[in-house]
Amino acid sequence: MDIAINTLRRNRTQAITLTALVVFFLVAMQGMETQDWVITMLRGLAVAAVTFLVASGFSLIFGLMDVLNLAHGTLFMIGAYIGWTVYVRPDTAVDITPPIALIAAGLVLLPACEYLLAKMRLSHTILRLLPWVALILGLLLLFVGLPRFPITAWDPMVYDKSPVVYSVQLDTGRLILPEPVQVDANSLAVGIAGALLGGGLIALSLAAFARRTRAVAKTRFPRMAVGVALVLMILGLVINASSAALTQLLMDVGTTWRFFVAVIVATFAGAGLGALMEVSLIRPLYARPIYQLMLTLGLGVIGREVIIAIFGRSQTSMPKPALFNGTGPGCPAQNIGDWLANQCSTISFMGSRIRTYNEIFVILVGVIVLIVVWLLLQRSRIGMVIRAGVQDREMVEALGTNVRRVFTVVFALGVGLAALGGVLAGPFMGVSDSMGESLLLSALIALALGGLTSFPGAAAGSLLVGLLQQFIVKYGQIGIQLPFLAEPFKPTPPLVPASTLLLMVIILLVMPQGLFGRKE
Amino acid sequence: MVKPADNLLEVRDIHTFIGQFHILQGVTVQVPKGSITTLLGRNGAGKTTTLKSILGITPPRQGQVILDGEEIQGRRTYEIASLGIGFVPDYRAVFRDLSVEENLRIAERKPGDLARHQDFIFGLFPDLKRLIKLRGQQLSGGQQQMLAIARALVADNRLLLIDEPSEGLAPVLVEQMMEAIQRLSEETTVILVEQNFAVASQLAKYYVIIEEGRSVQGGLMADLLKDRETIQRYLGAA
Repeated sequence: MDIAINTLRRNRTQAITLTALVVFFLVAMQGMETQDWVITMLRGLAVAAVTFLVASGFSLIFGLMDVLNLAHGTLFMIGAYIGWTVYVRPDTAVDITPPIALIAAGLVLLPACEYLLAKMRLSHTILRLLPWVALILGLLLLFVGLPRFPITAWDPMVYDKSPVVYSVQLDTGRLILPEPVQVDANSLAVGIAGALLGGGLIALSLAAFARRTRAVAKTRFPRMAVGVALVLMILGLVINASSAALTQLLMDVGTTWRFFVAVIVATFAGAGLGALMEVSLIRPLYARPIYQLMLTLGLGVIGREVIIAIFGRSQTSMPKPALFNGTGPGCPAQNIGDWLANQCSTISFMGSRIRTYNEIFVILVGVIVLIVVWLLLQRSRIGMVIRAGVQDREMVEALGTNVRRVFTVVFALGVGLAALGGVLAGPFMGVSDSMGESLLLSALIALALGGLTSFPGAAAGSLLVGLLQQFIVKYGQIGIQLPFLAEPFKPTPPLVPASTLLLMVIILLVMPQGLFGRKE
Repeated sequence: MVKPADNLLEVRDIHTFIGQFHILQGVTVQVPKGSITTLLGRNGAGKTTTLKSILGITPPRQGQVILDGEEIQGRRTYEIASLGIGFVPDYRAVFRDLSVEENLRIAERKPGDLARHQDFIFGLFPDLKRLIKLRGQQLSGGQQQMLAIARALVADNRLLLIDEPSEGLAPVLVEQMMEAIQRLSEETTVILVEQNFAVASQLAKYYVIIEEGRSVQGGLMADLLKDRETIQRYLGAA
C-alpha cells in the first residue's frame, strides 16, 4: 500500500513537471514566429543529442561501477580529435594505426599472461620485482620502437603545417597532403618488434601486479585473447605495408564517406581507450572512490595537455562533409529528397533555413543511439546483467557471471559514446581542447535533472538542458516580453549556463532524486 | 589430496577478516552429500560470513574450502559459483528492474539451463509461473523469497547456500518454504542458515554451531535434539 502511494506520488511529480515543461514551451511558442520556434527546437534537440551521448555513457559507468569518470569530457574531446585526424589527415591516421594495433596486440595478451603466471611457481622476490622490471622494460621498448615508425604528420608550431591550415584547405577543396615520410626496412623492423614486445611486457607487468594482490586461480588457456592478438598483429602489419594505397583510397572516397569512416574509427578508438583505462588504471581502485576521483580528474587534465602538445592550442574547424555542405544550384533544398540529390547545407522552411548537418543529422544519430542502447539494455543478456549489476553487483557475481568483464565492456561502451559525441560535435561546435569541459558540465546537469543512474533520465535531462539553452540563446536575440517589464528582456550569453543550473536547482528541490531517479 | 568419500564440501579452519575485524576465527564445517546441514548460532556469530567465505565474496585469509576434493578458496566468486554453487542471500537480492523471467534467466550459466529446469522450479513454486512477467519490485516479500530460491535452481548446482529463508515471512509461508527446501534437498545438497531453531531442526540432518566466529560443535541433528543443555547454552532456545 505504501509502495502504491509512493509510486503515485512520484509519478504525479513527474507528470506535473512534464506538464509545466510542455506549458513552458507552448508559451515560448507564442513569443516568437513559428519557424523560429521550430528551428530553436531543432537546435535544442541537436545540443541535447550531443549532451546525451556524453551523459548516457557517464551514467552507465557510474550506475554499474560507481565510478565518477571526470575524464569523460576529455574523452569526448579526444574523440573529436581522432575524428578530425581521420577526416582531415587520413595519411597520418593510416600511419599511426600500425604501431597502435601492434601495441594493442601485445596488451590483449593480458589474460594469457595471467594464465602463465598462475601456472608458474614464482619466488617471492621474483613476484615483487617482475611487475616493475616488465613495466620499465616495456616502456623502454616502446620508447625505442615508436619513433621508428614513419608518421607523416602536421606541425602545430609551424603555421603552414598546422591543423588549422589543413582544415581550411579541406574546406576550400584544395587539401594537399605532404609527401609521406620514408624509413628503411631495418629501422621499421626494430619499430615493429619494439611496439609488439613493449605492449606484451606491459600486459605481463599488469598481470604480475594483479598476481601480487590476489590468490591465483586455475583458469583455462585464453585462446580468444591470443586469437585477437594475432588478428591485431596481422592488421597492423598489413596496414603498414599498404599505407599509401589506403590513404589514396580514403582520399578518393570523398568527404562524406570519409566522415563516416572517421565517426566509426573515433567511436571504436574511444571504446578501446575506455577498455584500456578500465583494465589498467580504474580496476585497482574500485575499493577507493576518492583515489578514483583524483585519478579520473588527473587523466582528464593529462589528456588535454597531450592533445595540446600534439595539435597545438588553437581551435580548429572540422569542415562539414559534402553531403551537408552544398550551396550550389538547387540549394537551399525544398525537401529532404532535394537535399539528398543536391547535397545541400540547408533546407528552406517557412522562409527560414534548417541546417542539414546540425539540425537533422546530429539529432538523427542521437535518436538512433538512444534506441540502440535502449534495446541493448532491455533485450540482450549483457544488458540484463548491466541492469541487475546497477542494483547488486555482488549477487550477479554470485550467480556465476564475471562482472569484471562486464565492467570493461561498459567502460568501453561509455567512452565510445562520448567519443562518438565528440566527432559528431566537431563540424558544428568546432574542435578545441576545451570543448569537453563545458559539455561535461552540461551532461552532469542533465544527469542531476534526470537521475544519475537512469538511462531514460539521461535522455530527458539532456533534452531539458539542450532545449533550455537554445531557447535562452534565441530570446537573447529577439527579446522576451515579461510581465511588469516595459522593455522586452534580452538574456545575455552568460545566462545560458546559469539558466540550466537554475532549472537543476528547482527540480532538485522538488525531486531530490531527479526526474527518473530512484530513492536510495 | 585426501578426500572423504561422502563430504561434498569441507570448510577447514577458515579465518575471515572484514576490514580490520577478525570475523571468522576458525570455522570448520563438513557437509555430507545429499542432505541438509544447518549452521546454528546467535545473531552476528558468523553464519552468513561463513557462507560468503565459501563463495569468496569475503575470501578467507587462512584455511581451506574444499569442494568435491578440489581446493576453491582464493578463487573469484563467479568462478566458485560456476563450479555449481547456488546462493540465496538473507536479503533476497531479487533484481528489482528485471522481470521474474529475467531474474531466472540471469542465473543461466549455459543456454537452455532455465528450459531444462523450469518444470522442477515451477513444480516447487507454482505461483512464479503466474508472476513471470512482473518486475522484481512488484513482488511481495514471500514471492521474492521464492524467486530467490528458484534463481539458485536454474543452473546445475550441486550445492545450495540458503541464508535465513524464513526471515520475515508469515507462518503459512514459512511452511511452504520448508516444504520446498525439503523437496529440493532430495535433488541436491543444502547448507541452511536458519535463525528459527524449530524450522532448522525439522529440516536438517546435520548441524554445526558457530559461536563468536568459531565452530564449536557439530554432528547429527537427532543427537543435538536430545542435548537440551547445549541448545540452551548456544542457541538460547528450549
